[in-house]
Amino acid sequence: MAIQSNVLLISLVLMAVVAGFFISAVRASRKPDTSAPREVVRTRFIYALLTVGVIVTAVSLRPWPHAISAANGPSATVNVTGAMWYWEIDRETVPLGVPVIFNARTTDVTHGFGVMDSQDRLLFQTQAMPGYVNQVEHVFRQPGVYRVVCMEYCGVAHHAMTNEFTVAAAN
Amino acid sequence: MMDNNSAQRLPGPQAGAVKFTMLLAGVVLLLMMVFGFVMRAAQGNLIDLDPAMFYQLLTAHGAGMVGTAGLTGAAILWYFMGRYVPLARGVFWAFLGLFLLGVVLILGAIFIGGYGGAWTFLFPLPANSGGVWGTDAAAAFLLGYVAIGVAFLLLYLEVGRKLIACYGGIGGALAWPLVMGKGTAEDAPPPAVVAAMATTIFNTIGTVVGAAVLASSLVNLYFPEFKVDALLAKNMIYFFGHVFINASIYMAVIAVYEIIPEYTGTPWKTSRVFAVAWSLVLLFVMAVYPHHLLQDTVMPAWSLAMGQIVSYLSGIPLLAVTAFSLIVYLRKANAMRWDLASALLVLGVAGWSVGSVPAIIDGMISVNKVMHNTQWVPGHFHIYLILGEVAMAFGFMMWLIGKPEHKAVGGFNWAAFSAYVLGGTGFTLMFLVSGALSVPRRWAVHAPEWVLQSQIATGFALLVIVGAAMFVLRYLLGLKHSAGR
Repeated sequence: MAIQSNVLLISLVLMAVVAGFFISAVRASRKPDTSAPREVVRTRFIYALLTVGVIVTAVSLRPWPHAISAANGPSATVNVTGAMWYWEIDRETVPLGVPVIFNARTTDVTHGFGVMDSQDRLLFQTQAMPGYVNQVEHVFRQPGVYRVVCMEYCGVAHHAMTNEFTVAAAN
Repeated sequence: MMDNNSAQRLPGPQAGAVKFTMLLAGVVLLLMMVFGFVMRAAQGNLIDLDPAMFYQLLTAHGAGMVGTAGLTGAAILWYFMGRYVPLARGVFWAFLGLFLLGVVLILGAIFIGGYGGAWTFLFPLPANSGGVWGTDAAAAFLLGYVAIGVAFLLLYLEVGRKLIACYGGIGGALAWPLVMGKGTAEDAPPPAVVAAMATTIFNTIGTVVGAAVLASSLVNLYFPEFKVDALLAKNMIYFFGHVFINASIYMAVIAVYEIIPEYTGTPWKTSRVFAVAWSLVLLFVMAVYPHHLLQDTVMPAWSLAMGQIVSYLSGIPLLAVTAFSLIVYLRKANAMRWDLASALLVLGVAGWSVGSVPAIIDGMISVNKVMHNTQWVPGHFHIYLILGEVAMAFGFMMWLIGKPEHKAVGGFNWAAFSAYVLGGTGFTLMFLVSGALSVPRRWAVHAPEWVLQSQIATGFALLVIVGAAMFVLRYLLGLKHSAGR
């Protein structure tokens, strides 16, 4: 299951839990309720939130999500340049199964370099900003045609700023 | 120094000016909701809309909604601070006048000048439209923001100096003696004052940073050789934008602290945990903004990690203090009185809390990599605006109007509330679902496989508009009976 589906599922469950506490409190509001949570419950809740936060932080930031590891082994580099309203990509085919480093640049305003798979599922993105080169690394696991889209609003043809490249096994 | 919640209340907060402001805000909110409805209908291929007009509406909707949220928050702040400190009446009129001047400039820039650079005016887009709008239109838009910024600075200057004078300095108004374990809860300022002082500080800083980047962008418009570093400008814009929209919610929650006790029968007190929470909010609101730049990999790694961590930490004062306390007050109430005002205010805190969940999850770098600038983002902020800040603003409006029978839960009012909640829930869920399906935000034209979600969302948007229009109508009809407030 794609990360997006998991994120949606987890979010909906947690949102329902939060909403549930409010609905339950509203229902209990017309009569005295001896089960109202006390201060000790609040303290425990804060410690629980902090504990979950430490665990989630440690798990989600190690390894560093923006790490560029390709320097240690075989890799490919792709230079992409955004401009109103098209993408220039310096190669048509990128290799399958090895880390690919994308260097994202722009010639005018800020654009968002996003790559979608054949099911239009966003795989990764980075910003393309004037005066800077943002790097993002990805390992493609499926051969095929991938679509480049703009993920940062850049003017009247923002939605039409697309291109594509092919992922194929390296010879 | 004022040391007590109810005994020191001053008579005659500027009720007339505030009521007029809330009426204006209600009408503008409706208009902006219609813009949103039109955009979703266009994405759903239900109407034919030129992309240039779509992006103009997008710009007006964003600037209009953020501005109106700020306006309603400021009116709530002003009204309730008028209970505790003597505020100069002319300042509010100057605030409103400058605000409206800003609105005129922004609307002129968009609908006369064709400006469509989005409310975030991301440098250098205002100066580089690709021939769609001119320099003067961009300048009018930015000057409109400057006018609104000056309006807020004026308002905060008055509120801030009065709170500082009356509560023994910034620390006194933030209840720092209680935080340090030196004072008692009875001597602490009321929750509304603590919230007002914190908001005044962070939104003043945010607005000044916003003014600096606006001024730089304005100079760049006419003197392109004056270069602005795009990354620095982006940091400043998102610092300003994040702080401003959050300040709107943090100002609106003052209405909850002040009004809900009338319904539960239990005063909302400044406890030590409350005071600590607000001092943390003051820090967190300003430190969290790098979570808007998680896909700028040239940012220092520590700042992005800070963005993720503070994003999570920001949820704790909201969930464990404001939401938790409200739930306790509701549960402890012997006979909570429910009407349209109390229902909307409680909805506001609930919506804000629920909306924090997808926001915090998107604040994780690894999630953000596939969710940033998808419809997930408007998904979460529409939850804590439609069902959060705006619900609180409508709740405050219902409280302002007179006779109890005008706001009883039933008939017309129940229909309005139900339409608003159902519409708001469905509308925002469609954004979240679309975000999970990788639909980018701010696209005038959608792929065929995304059209169905947009069509469903359009239906829910209509429900929201019907509910909100009924609230505004109820407010308008109730105003003439509200002389006692």
